[in-house]
Amino acid sequence: MSEDELYSPRNPWFSISVGVTAAIAVLSAIVGLIWLPLLQPDLKLSGIWDAICSAAGVPNLPRPAAAVPPTFKTSNVVVTPEMLTRQDQVSIGRGATLAQRCAICHGPQGVSDANSPNLAGQYAAVTYKELNDFKTGARVNVVMSPFAANMTDQDMRDVALYYAYLPRVPSSQLNPGLPPPAIVVTGAPLRNIPPCGSCHGEIDIKAGSPWLGGQSAVYIKAQLQAFAAGTRRNDISEQMRNIARQMTAEEIDQVARYYEAQP
Amino acid sequence: MTSETDHSHDEHGLGEAVAARIERRWATLSVVIICVLVGLAAFFGIYHATMPQGRVETADPTTLHLSGEFVESNLGSALEADGSVTVRAIGQQYSFTPQCLVVPAETPITIRATSADVVHGFLIEGTNINTMLVPGYVSDLPIRFNAPGEHVMPCQEFCGIGHQGMWGKVKVVDQTAFRNMAASKRRLTCVD
Repeated sequence: MSEDELYSPRNPWFSISVGVTAAIAVLSAIVGLIWLPLLQPDLKLSGIWDAICSAAGVPNLPRPAAAVPPTFKTSNVVVTPEMLTRQDQVSIGRGATLAQRCAICHGPQGVSDANSPNLAGQYAAVTYKELNDFKTGARVNVVMSPFAANMTDQDMRDVALYYAYLPRVPSSQLNPGLPPPAIVVTGAPLRNIPPCGSCHGEIDIKAGSPWLGGQSAVYIKAQLQAFAAGTRRNDISEQMRNIARQMTAEEIDQVARYYEAQP
Repeated sequence: MTSETDHSHDEHGLGEAVAARIERRWATLSVVIICVLVGLAAFFGIYHATMPQGRVETADPTTLHLSGEFVESNLGSALEADGSVTVRAIGQQYSFTPQCLVVPAETPITIRATSADVVHGFLIEGTNINTMLVPGYVSDLPIRFNAPGEHVMPCQEFCGIGHQGMWGKVKVVDQTAFRNMAASKRRLTCVD
C-alpha cells in the first residue's frame, strides 16, 4: 500500500480515525468551554460567549463591590524592591542641604544619642516612606509631622538618598558579641512570628523594612508597642502590627536591646 | 511416531488454550483495576477537591492597599444582602491579614484572597480549601462550614525565609453569633 492510499479519504481506516478524533475535539470543546461553565451557578455567566471567555482564562476585572473606606489614614506609598536604589549625586547634594534642619534630632552625621532614629546608612526607601507617611498623616508624631508637612516629593527623595549615602555609625551601645535572641533568628512560628532577621537584614531583606542595627532601644521598643497597641498603623496591610501583637513584653525588650548593640 | 506427534500437538494446544484463558482473565482484572482507580480519582476530584476557578480575576499586588476591595478597612468577613458571606484576605511576607477570619457555620461563604508580594499558599485545615495566592490574581473559593470550631490556616507554599511563621486562623461561629457581630460592624475579624 503506497503512502497516497494510506493518507487518503478513500481509505476508510484513515477517514474514520480522523473523523473520530475531530469529533472528540469538538465534543470536548463544547463540554469544557460551554457546558461545564454553564453548570456552575456561582459564575453568573451572561451567555455562551461569556462562558467560552471565562473558561479560556480571559482576565476579568474584579466585580465592583462597595469597599468599606478606612476610618484612619493609611500609607499611600507604593513600595517596590527597586524603589530609590539608584545613587544620584545631585539628589544626595540637595538632600545634604535639606538635612541640615534634621540634624538637631538626627545628628549632623545622621546619628545621635537623642533616642530618635539613626538615619545614616538607612535604606532610602524606608526614610522616604516614613517622611511620606508623616506628610499624609498615616504616621503621626508631634515633632516630625510639621517638618514633613511642607516637604515636596522630591525633597523627601533627596533627604532619603542623602541619609542612605552616609556611612552607618555604630551606636555607643555597640556590642557585636551579644547573642541574638531566638525571636530574631528563628521567630516564634507557633505564634505566627517569623524571624525579625527574615525582613530586617541578617537573613533576608524585605523591601521597605528598615535596617535596625544601632537604633536606639527606647525607639525600637516604643515603635513595637505602638504597632501592638494599634496606635501606629502606617505599616502597609498590617505587616508589622500582625507581628508586634503576638510578641511578649520580654521579647520586645530583647529585640530592642539586641538591635541597639548591632553595627 | 505419528501418535507421539499427535500427543505432543494435543498437549501444546491445551497449554495454549490455558495460557490464553489466564491472560484474558488477568487482562480483565487489570482493566477493572484501572477503571476503579480512574473512577476514584474522578469521584474525589469532582466531589471533594477544590475546583479550579471559573474566572480569572486580576489585582495589582503593589497597589492593593491604595484602592479596590483589598484595602485594609475592607478585609475580613462581610455579610451580603443575600445572606451569604464574603471573606477578603491578603497574604504577604510573612502573615495573613486579617490574622484571624471569623465566619458563620452552615452558610455559603466566598473567600477572596490575593498576594501582595510573592506566591503564598492558602490552606484551611479540615476542609478542601487548598490553593495558591499568586501576586496579580485573585483566588476566589466557595466554601461552607458545617459546624462551629477553629481551623488553622498555614501558608503551604514556601514564600521566603520566614515562611514557617506564616499562618492564620479561621474561627467558625454559629449563625446567630455571627449576625450579632455583623449588626455593629461591616467587616468582621477575630484579631485580638
